[in-house]
This record gives sequence, structure tokens and C-alpha cells, in this order.
Amino acid sequence: MPSVVEVENLVKDFRTFDRREGVWGAIQDLYSRQYRNFRAVDNVSFTIGQGEMVGYIGPNGAGKSTSIKMLTGILVPSSGRIVANGYCPWRERTRYTRTIGVVFGQRTQLWWDIGVVESFRLLQKIYEISQAEYDHRLAKFDEVLELKRYLHTPVRKLSLGERMRCDVAAALLHNPPLLFLDEPTIGLDIVAKESIRTFLKEVNREYGTTMLLTTHDLSDIEELCHRLMIIDHGKVLYDGGLPELKRMLWRESALKVDLRDRDQAALLAAFSMPGVAVERADELSYRLRFRREEVQPAELIRRIVNEVQVLDLTMEEQPIEEVVRRIYTGEALHDDAHASPEGARP
Amino acid sequence: MRTLSLIWQYFVQYSKVRLAYRGDFLTSVITTMFGALAGIAAVYLIFHRAPLIHGWSFDEIFFLYGFGLLPLSLFNLLSINLYFFSEVYIIQGKFDRVLLRPVHTLVQILFEQFRIEALGDTLLGLVVLWITAPKVGIALDLRFWLLALVFTVLGATLYLAIFLCLTAVSFWMEDRVGIIPPVYNMMAFGRYPLDIYGTPIRLLLSWVIPFGFAGFYPVAFLLGKDGMLVFAWLLPAVTACFLALAVMVWNRGVRNYSSTGS
Repeated sequence: MPSVVEVENLVKDFRTFDRREGVWGAIQDLYSRQYRNFRAVDNVSFTIGQGEMVGYIGPNGAGKSTSIKMLTGILVPSSGRIVANGYCPWRERTRYTRTIGVVFGQRTQLWWDIGVVESFRLLQKIYEISQAEYDHRLAKFDEVLELKRYLHTPVRKLSLGERMRCDVAAALLHNPPLLFLDEPTIGLDIVAKESIRTFLKEVNREYGTTMLLTTHDLSDIEELCHRLMIIDHGKVLYDGGLPELKRMLWRESALKVDLRDRDQAALLAAFSMPGVAVERADELSYRLRFRREEVQPAELIRRIVNEVQVLDLTMEEQPIEEVVRRIYTGEALHDDAHASPEGARP
Repeated sequence: MRTLSLIWQYFVQYSKVRLAYRGDFLTSVITTMFGALAGIAAVYLIFHRAPLIHGWSFDEIFFLYGFGLLPLSLFNLLSINLYFFSEVYIIQGKFDRVLLRPVHTLVQILFEQFRIEALGDTLLGLVVLWITAPKVGIALDLRFWLLALVFTVLGATLYLAIFLCLTAVSFWMEDRVGIIPPVYNMMAFGRYPLDIYGTPIRLLLSWVIPFGFAGFYPVAFLLGKDGMLVFAWLLPAVTACFLALAVMVWNRGVRNYSSTGS
């Protein structure tokens, strides 16, 4: 698999100054400023292969957008190296931008006051797309995104869902081999999200388009990406597959036990097994927490069924959001890093 | 060639935008015309009684004023984005989008929007030339129009280069620096005979912020004023220098662009 994006020791520092409060503060700011260095991206390295769909996630302010802006040539890194599609994004900007597509969920790339189709025409001129190719691609996009209905509406009058569909189409009009999406599904309803995901999958399958997307919606990752990178405080915390991440972090599981009556409840309350913590959920149900490497679920269930009369048993898995929350808040990965299957270092 | 066709596309698209808001466009055309007429009236009221000011007759000053409208209106046609650059492109981060297109940033900034109303000033300038040229002994022949075209293009380019240098400052200073409006007002000084000013202002308008090269010197050349001819020949060189400086400062600024938070 040839690599499309190579990033090595990427660093971006911002120099900001703390603005003082009030009018007098503003006057003081004029002649003396306390500058502060802020490292938004801290020594990030990775490569992305051709046709990969990679999710880039992290809490607000983690350095995702700054990374994307360096990868797309908007920002010049403080140090480090990027080669994407064979170009240095900020040095060979004009040639490089011909080979990429960029979607910003928060900000449209289309011209605000004119019909969508006029924006597309302008893009056709800018990227020198032949009429035949333009027609072909627009027809193709219409199949999934159903663009034709609002092609003549000014962008400012579109709903967010419609606008996003147009933005994604606009970014792919010149058939770039590499696509960056910064929160492409932010604020969209489930139908619009689904439509955009289906479209992205189809484009990836048909044209082998490499995609890097940032998102806060983890179902985007589950549906689209085979690989995810988790970034926080400018550093990559995890780089690998979603199943591996789940296996790594879902080591603690819980078994919910519903019981027939109070006598049984008393029996279960007294139940003990090494590595299992018994917690009362309500009057007739208990939650047993255990670590997967210490306790075999099958063994646990066998013993429970032997000792108490059980109404129902449910294995409770943490939702992916919970896993990611634990990474963001620093509960996971830092102490679990030694058990990581690949690449994850705190 | 590709850039030219792209500029034309931008122009067509932008005209559509403006025509989409018809009422706004019409009001703007009318107010701009009133502004220009008021300018002409002011020149008339101030100068028509004075027979000769530092060797310049009223007709010559009027001719100078009309001719000066040509590069000025061409500059106004293209410079609309420079006024809002710091506000819209830097502070709001709209420059991100500009950087994502495979077209030089300057082409996009200068040609994405136009002040179409400025073409009214061009028309007015031509009318003034038409009226005053016979009175100052200039024949409106092909040679004249060719020279006028060259001076207009060079003058407008010089204006643009000077303001680009000033605009590029906002890449380093994110504060809304009010450096452009006062300099813009200084442009008017370069459209009267420089002889009427004292030496400091004359030197300033010739060699520091050389507005005199865009307005005054070409007309002095056309009117055959003594000792002024050499300046018109310097116009291409001055324009080229400032343009090179502007592009250099601009490109450096682009590298320093820091975008917004999200």
C-alpha cells in the first residue's frame, strides 16, 4: 500500500498574548504584552496509505483542526515535515491544492449569495474540469446526494443538511485522490448524516479516495473508518483499529443479574468470587463488575446459576462514547498503555 | 490566459450576486454618482475663479481631475476586498478558503469582488476629458488614448501595490489597524498639481507614498509641463518596484497567517 500522506515530527506553536481586562488594560496592551507560547500540535507522526479512511478524533482544542490546517497547506508548521500527494503542502500550495478536496463542516466553501450550480461552475473553471467530466460527476453525485432539487437555490437559503451535501460534492468535483473532512456531520440530522456517509463510502470504493476526517460523532468512525487516531494536548494517544481499541479498553465488564425474590437477593449479596465486585442496582437486581483478564465470564455465569435462582442475565458493554470519554479525561490509556496492542503511547 | 478567463468568470459571478440584490445595487450606483458629481463641483468652486495657480490654468486642473479619475476608478473597482481584508479574511478566518484554491491568493483577493459602481467614475472621467481636452490643447487622437490606457493601467497598479503593502500588515497585526483610511484620503493630494504643495508633501507624494506618479505626473507629461517629463518615464519603474515589494510582503504575510481557532 503506497503512502499518500507522510507526517514526521509535526509541531505547531502559536504565540498569543493575554489581553488585560478593561480600557486601562487595553491601553497597557498597546506598549507591553505578555506573550505566551502555546503548543497546539506536539511532535505528531503518522502515515496514511492509499485508499485508507482514517478518523481523527479528540476533545475540543486537542489540535485536530490545527493538524488539518497544516495538512491542507493553510498553516505553516513550526517544525516537522509533511509530504502529501508528493507535495509539501505550504511550499507547493497551488499545485498541491489541485490534488486535494477539503470540507469544513463549520464553514461553507461555497459562495454564499449565488446558486449552488454557479458555485460549481466557478469551481469547474478554477480546477479546469472538462464539461464531460463535470456532467458525469454531477449526475453521479446526484444519485446519492439528490442535489438536483436545490441546485439553483442560493447557498444562504439552504438548510444545513442540504448545504453540507453541496459542500461535500463541491470538494469532490475535481476528483481529488485525497479528501480532508473537518467535522462533516456536525449538527446534521440522521438522514443527512446517513446520506453523507453512504456517499463517502461509495466514493472511497469507486475512486480509491483517501480520506482523513475529524468528528465528535463516533458513529461516523464506526461506519466509515478502519483506523482511528486519538489526539489530545497535541499528541497522538492512540493510532490503530477500532476493534483493537475496544478490546484494549473494555477489560472491565459488568454482568447484570435480575432475581426472582428477596431471598435470592440476599443469597447473591453474599456471593463472592475473586476479582468480582458485587453492587446492588435496585431491590431485585445486582451488577457484578469484573476484569476480563482475571475472570472468565462463562465461569462466573456457571457459578451464579448454581448458587442462586436467576430471572435474567445481561452482559453490559460500555458504549464507544464511554471508552472515548475515559481516554479524553485521562482515565484510560495512560495507565493501560503497557497493554496496548499497537502504537498507543501516552 | 487561464487566469484572465478565471477573472472574467469571477466578474460575471459577482455581477450576478450584485444584481440579485437589485435595490441595494441601484442605491449604491446613485450615491456613488452623487459623490463623484460633488467632487467635480468642489473642484469647480475652488478653482474656477483663480486664473492661474503655479502655472496651472483652471482648465488644466479640471483636465487633471478628470484624468485622475481613470486610474482611481480602476483601482476602486478592484480594491474593495482590501478594505475588509483584516476584518473578514484575517479575523473571521475567511482566508482559509482562499488558501485552499489552486489560484494565487492575490488573484482571488483582488478579483473575487468588484466595486462595479466605480465604473461610473470612469465614465465621468471620460466626460471631463472630452470637455476639457480641447481647452488645454490636447487632441483626443489614437496616440492620446493609447497613452491614457497605459497611464491608467500603470497608475491603478501603483495604487494597488501601495495598498497591498498596507493590507499585508494585517497578517502580522491582528488588531484592526486603521492605517488604510488615512492613506486612502491622501490619494486625493496626488490628483492636484504637486507644485501647489510645500517641499515635504511634494517629496512624500513623489518618493514615499508615490501617489503623484499615478495622478499628477502623467498629466504633467501630457500637458508638456517643464521639468516634469522625466517623472512620467519613471512611472513604469516605480510601479514595478512597488508591485514587487507588495508581492514579496504579501507572500511573507501569507506564510505568517495563523487562521482561527476551529
